Amino acid sequence: MGLLSIIRKIKRKEKEMRILMVGLDNSGKTTIVLKINGEDTSVISPTLGFNIKTITYQKYTLNIWDVGGQRTIRSYWRNYFEQTDGLVWVVDSSDLRRLDDCKMELDNLLKEERLSGASLLILANKQDIKGALTPAEIAKVLNLESMDKTRHWKIVGCSAYTGEGLLEGFDWLVQDVASRIYMLD
Amino acid sequence: MEEDRSHTNLPTKTLGLDADLQKKHQAMLDRLSNRHQARLDTSLARRSDSANSSESTSSFLSRFSASKQSIDSQLADSRLIATSDPSRLRSHFANISSSISDLEKLVAENSYFLPSYEVRSSLKTISDLKQNLEILNSELIPKKKFSFKNKATAKKELPKEPEPIKPDTVSVSNFKLPNSPGFRNKTNETLVKKLRGTEIGEFTLSDLESCEVRLIGCCNAVFMNRLTNCKVYMGPVIGSILIEGVEGCVFVLASHQIRIHLAKGCDFYLRVRSRPIIEDSNVVRFAPYCLDYEGIEMDLEKAGLSEETGNWGNVDDFKWLRAVQSPNWCVLPENERVGKVRTEDIGS
Repeated sequence: MGLLSIIRKIKRKEKEMRILMVGLDNSGKTTIVLKINGEDTSVISPTLGFNIKTITYQKYTLNIWDVGGQRTIRSYWRNYFEQTDGLVWVVDSSDLRRLDDCKMELDNLLKEERLSGASLLILANKQDIKGALTPAEIAKVLNLESMDKTRHWKIVGCSAYTGEGLLEGFDWLVQDVASRIYMLD
Repeated sequence: MEEDRSHTNLPTKTLGLDADLQKKHQAMLDRLSNRHQARLDTSLARRSDSANSSESTSSFLSRFSASKQSIDSQLADSRLIATSDPSRLRSHFANISSSISDLEKLVAENSYFLPSYEVRSSLKTISDLKQNLEILNSELIPKKKFSFKNKATAKKELPKEPEPIKPDTVSVSNFKLPNSPGFRNKTNETLVKKLRGTEIGEFTLSDLESCEVRLIGCCNAVFMNRLTNCKVYMGPVIGSILIEGVEGCVFVLASHQIRIHLAKGCDFYLRVRSRPIIEDSNVVRFAPYCLDYEGIEMDLEKAGLSEETGNWGNVDDFKWLRAVQSPNWCVLPENERVGKVRTEDIGS
């Protein structure tokens, strides 16, 4: 391999971002990933394991790790923490009963040292469903205001079904990560 | 070895030393000889001991073959255990492994009087047994690239089990949650809701006992929790259905996704666009969707479910991530299925 190709490769790598999508089962993680990638979302089975999608977004390459949220496999989330630049926490805004569960799992996640530098995007999904809580309400229930002051975070309402709000959320996430790790650009 | 060295060093080292040191040295020598004697005694005792238990080659061989037989039968049992109670498999293999090493010890203890042919053939038998165990182990507890092992999950599951008993309200904040549409806390009732023409997005069924529920028309999402001995007949759901903590129920459901948690002794008649999943459930049976009511075709089409997908039988069990069929669910035998259910007929 010539020096130039090595430099090119490093350069290309530099524009990569690693995004980890987590959240309770049934929150819509896989649907969100497929939707922003412009794929069909009508037939999605609950994720058994994980999916990786590489998406070119603006001038960056996003490696999105979409990890299954069933209770049995949540303990495996930590296998994906390493080198995460952006963390996406997906909430089913219509699942009022499990908001407690949702808060507990998010709190556990944010205690994780390996994720301490990651920007956090909270997607209040399923806004298309009547009766869903608004992003402001979700923020209140999850007590986001009391989060560690050093954390970069934002909550955005979205609907993976219609696609609304997804770009707004990912725009913020990518910009925030970029401004942190590619400051020299 | 150490003893030898101290003896050979003796003449050169002790020559010019004073009496005190010599005394010390003598004490050391005494200690060493005592130790030597003690060792001889115990080894003699051990010999006579094993000689008592198996004085001859033939008695050794009969003991050997008896334990080999028991190990063989244990090995044969493991396939049965793998299908009936896989969680026991690991401890079962551990037992076999320890029996094999006991057998190995037996051979080693008796090797001093056994003819070398017997020693070799016994060792060969032991290594065969070990190999068989290894093969069974890798076959029945397969290593996957990304596997969810029962052991690790069981640990995580324990403290979490009581969670579903939590009350509906969110206790973590003072925030008051609106009550979404649904049926809650009912016993022995027939609950009917026509969803068509309403603005209802999600619908909740919770804490119902011995009720019959009929939802006619489409909605976006359904949540069910803590239902016992209920019958639930439901028009197509566009998004997903989430079920947690149900026992002795019959469900007739159609949806894009269906997740079933903590279900016991339930029958599910499903039409699903994706693979239904179960988690922490057992004795659940599956059959195709069988609901009929005036205008159901229109609703099925609206939800993208007008055609049978066959997914009702493609159940993923998150507590059984193996190639072989999960023991927690099965296909409902055709002769036990209810026929077409028409909402006009049911419960009236």
